[in-house]
Amino acid sequence: MTDLIQMIVSGIATGSSYALMGLAMVIIYKTSEVPNFAQGEMALISSFFAMMLLTSFNLNVYLAFSLAFLFAAVLGCFLEFAVLRRAKEPNVLGMIVITIGIEMVILGFVSWKFGAEQKTMPFPIDPYDSLFIGDIFLKKLDILTLVSALGLMVVLFVFFRFSKLGLAMKATQQNSVAARIVGVRTNRILMTTWGISSLVGAVAGLLISPTIMHPYMMWDPMLKGFAAAVMGGMTSLPGAVVAAYMLGIIENLFGGYISIEFKTVVAFVIIVAVLCFKPSGLFARHYVKKV
Amino acid sequence: MDMKRDYYEDVRLFSSPAVVFWFVVLLGALYLFPLFAENYYVYVANYIAINIIVATGLNLLVGYTGQISLGHAGFFAIGAYGTIILMAKAGLPFLLALPCAALIAAGFGFFLGLPSLRLEGPYLAIATLGFGLTITQVIGRVELFGGREGLHAPDITIGPWIIDTDKEFYILLITLTIFLLLFMRNLIRTRVGRAFIAIRDADIAASTMGVNILYYKTLAFAVSAFYAGIGGGLYAFVLKFIEPEIFTLMMSIMFLAMVVVGGLGSMMGSIAGATLLCWLDLKLRNILSIPYIGDWLEHLSKNWFSITGVSNIQFIVFGTIMILIMLFEPLGLFGVWIRTKKYWRTWPF
Amino acid sequence: MKKSFMLLVVSLAFVLSLAPNLFAEVGVTDTEIHIGQWGPQTGPAAAWGSVARGTGAYFQWINDNGGIHGRKIVYHMFDDGYNPAKTVAGVKELQEGTGIFAWASGVGTSPGMAVKDYLAQNNVPWVGPAAGSLNWVNPPQRNLFAVYPLYDGEAKALVRYAVEKMGKKKVAVAYLNDEYGKNGLRGAQEELKAHGLKTVAEVSFEAADSDLNPHVMKLKQSEADMVLLWTTVTHAAKVVGISKAMKFEPQFMSTSTCSDFPLMMSITKGTWEGVICATFGELPDSDYPAIIKYKKEVFDKYAAKEERWGIFYYAGILFVEPMIEALKNVGPDLTREKFITEMEKIKGFKGLGAEVNFKPFDKNDMYSRQGASQTFLIQCLAEGKAKKLTEWMDIK
Repeated sequence: MTDLIQMIVSGIATGSSYALMGLAMVIIYKTSEVPNFAQGEMALISSFFAMMLLTSFNLNVYLAFSLAFLFAAVLGCFLEFAVLRRAKEPNVLGMIVITIGIEMVILGFVSWKFGAEQKTMPFPIDPYDSLFIGDIFLKKLDILTLVSALGLMVVLFVFFRFSKLGLAMKATQQNSVAARIVGVRTNRILMTTWGISSLVGAVAGLLISPTIMHPYMMWDPMLKGFAAAVMGGMTSLPGAVVAAYMLGIIENLFGGYISIEFKTVVAFVIIVAVLCFKPSGLFARHYVKKV
Repeated sequence: MDMKRDYYEDVRLFSSPAVVFWFVVLLGALYLFPLFAENYYVYVANYIAINIIVATGLNLLVGYTGQISLGHAGFFAIGAYGTIILMAKAGLPFLLALPCAALIAAGFGFFLGLPSLRLEGPYLAIATLGFGLTITQVIGRVELFGGREGLHAPDITIGPWIIDTDKEFYILLITLTIFLLLFMRNLIRTRVGRAFIAIRDADIAASTMGVNILYYKTLAFAVSAFYAGIGGGLYAFVLKFIEPEIFTLMMSIMFLAMVVVGGLGSMMGSIAGATLLCWLDLKLRNILSIPYIGDWLEHLSKNWFSITGVSNIQFIVFGTIMILIMLFEPLGLFGVWIRTKKYWRTWPF
Repeated sequence: MKKSFMLLVVSLAFVLSLAPNLFAEVGVTDTEIHIGQWGPQTGPAAAWGSVARGTGAYFQWINDNGGIHGRKIVYHMFDDGYNPAKTVAGVKELQEGTGIFAWASGVGTSPGMAVKDYLAQNNVPWVGPAAGSLNWVNPPQRNLFAVYPLYDGEAKALVRYAVEKMGKKKVAVAYLNDEYGKNGLRGAQEELKAHGLKTVAEVSFEAADSDLNPHVMKLKQSEADMVLLWTTVTHAAKVVGISKAMKFEPQFMSTSTCSDFPLMMSITKGTWEGVICATFGELPDSDYPAIIKYKKEVFDKYAAKEERWGIFYYAGILFVEPMIEALKNVGPDLTREKFITEMEKIKGFKGLGAEVNFKPFDKNDMYSRQGASQTFLIQCLAEGKAKKLTEWMDIK
């Protein structure tokens, strides 16, 4: 019994980092309608930037992290402004290829600057320090990730639903021409969404970096985050988070009880099964296509 | 661009004797190529030809039918493993094993096509991605496929002819490629191709007009999987050794990029896209040996970056080229070609 | 019209050139010897790229000290990103374009397997692949000389030590699901069987796995008192860390790929202390004369400023030393046949690594081409120092 609870707890812990990546991808998809394949690398470069500040410039931890968040937000805005916006009459696949190109450029850049060896991130919390509740253990880092994921989800949800900026974002997604007619500055909205999404990604990256820090560290979380976002519905923020936790728990349970080897396979099979019943994901409204 | 006077002219393979002539010249050049070129270039040509086959198949699915697939490395792997296992364990000759393995891939393609009836966009992308990952995992675990130790490709014998050099394989490969490309071109010009295009443009309208969506969508997946399977089977013999780790998500993404960069919905575009991206992939690792730029990059690396990671510049260049092509010409390389043609048509006005 | 465009593309893309072959022997002129190596300078395996760079620095040192019988070594290193297609492309390009005399080391089992037959067909010598796989010598090839001790031999040595000297009875194996990991698993299983024991758990990892909680859960559930880690550096670090968090504290043992203690200590923030590893080379901070010499003359002078003097850097020297020894012994008249003969005569050669012995080629005797079969065990101390637990031991 304790094993079962332990597995669920571990699943929730892993699910949190998937949730953060999923949130970031949903935010961009909500306005730009493109799944951002460069999400992982944007988080990566922000984390490496923080590490560089901490090790080479010996800044205070909180200052370094704040600067890294600022960097992430600026990077997101810059990418939207300089790259995505310049695409003339883009179709979705073209935009996807552009994000893939951005991903390669950033990955190459980080590998070039920092080399491929695994680094360490001087993080205030020891990654393997854990709390024990009875027989169940939970790493302190996992608790922090959990709190961040849920906290960000709530903040973003409230923001998108109730604030003027959030309303403007919804308008931009539904019909950008009409939004511009009523005075919404769509360009600025798009830039802001990318900035926010990059910021969320940077949080994810920073929380992953204490345990593992090398240029390819964000591939797996990004993939799982994308899968979670899809399962939850690409336009629903709580959906992405719930789906991410489900994904983490299913993987851990399956890995613990049945087979570790196929746990990723099973996760995807379940996602496909869910999608077959609810084609737009669990929580999104299924927009019936008009003829 | 030229006026067509009847249906037969529209579907004809070669629109005029001039085209036939140039086609024969092209065939001649391709077949005579190995006589002049070194083995290494023939190897590169083989590699590119295989990617052309896969890109054309994927183009049918993505460009002409409007679906998306991030799992084509899975079909590629099925073709590769299928061919080798059928040859080694079941003793089939190469010319039989290859189509059989590709048909198995097509069968999987059919199954993957079923979710596509309900899913689209990123949802379909994830479903196909999951499929690609599943195939790699399953192959890696099951002992029949040699697990992670990989499999060696046996020699190909066609009648009395044993193929064991790159040049001989090239002849076989070019023949297959031309055949498959002509088949694809024919397919697109017939009602099957038109059904695909109809599904891409307006699938509900198409179904009201009598196009059977179920049949054609799964057919698109199956045919594109067949092409990827053939490509995979041939790849096993170019590399002579396959291992599950080769068939990564990055490979699927590269296939998709080839199709998009080349130009969706254009066969010439897929050929150009595949050629460009493969060639860049193989050649960019020598970036440091370019005379002036190479030295400048090394100098830059020593001072600002790490010299140990300097080879990563190839990713930066690769990504930048992809971004630039897509930014300036959303229709891809084929769009560049069309634009150039249009410009010169009315030059100098 | 479209077809002629394709014709243009095809002919523009492939510049035809015929390189006249000026070499007396392929890759050898009066003043040069061409040696090549592939390595993962990019991609997920890029941490192993330092092997190729180490060889480069070593060759530079040799050249600056007169070369070999008046010939300088021209070193062709290329990046294959651990992708066998690129390895084949690079090897073919260099072999047929420039002409390579012999290939040195080369990281990775799959990249090496992809080019193994091509090199054998063209009778190109290849010395010291940087992977302890059985495939290099099973069956042995005349042109391929292996210098890395076999993985299953290392596993046997580690398990033997654990069972005999430490009295461990419950051994679990965590292995990467590829040839490397499976070799380790097999070695462990064979050694346990010889002691009448069996593994209590065998947990396999995928290279891309980032969530290792289920794996460590399984290990903990098996209540092992010794866990043999045969995975990547990243995974090993995570497993040890998560185990500590779970308060699961068996004796961890690992293979030479995780024996770079300073690196392991820094990425595990000290949890790696106490882990026992097998290794194939002398310790980086020991006072073994060759280590001190190479560090001073090769590393300090030729290595890039962000390189580290770790085992994966001087592995590039280690795997190539026998090759240089044989090249020197051949003398000024250098051909591939003579080189192979000299390689076979190497007996009791001790460089940075284990003793290297080769024999005349015998296709039924794998030790005619498996030169090193010794390892010794080290334990990680605080601050990344290593304590020698055993001397060099034979593992056959």
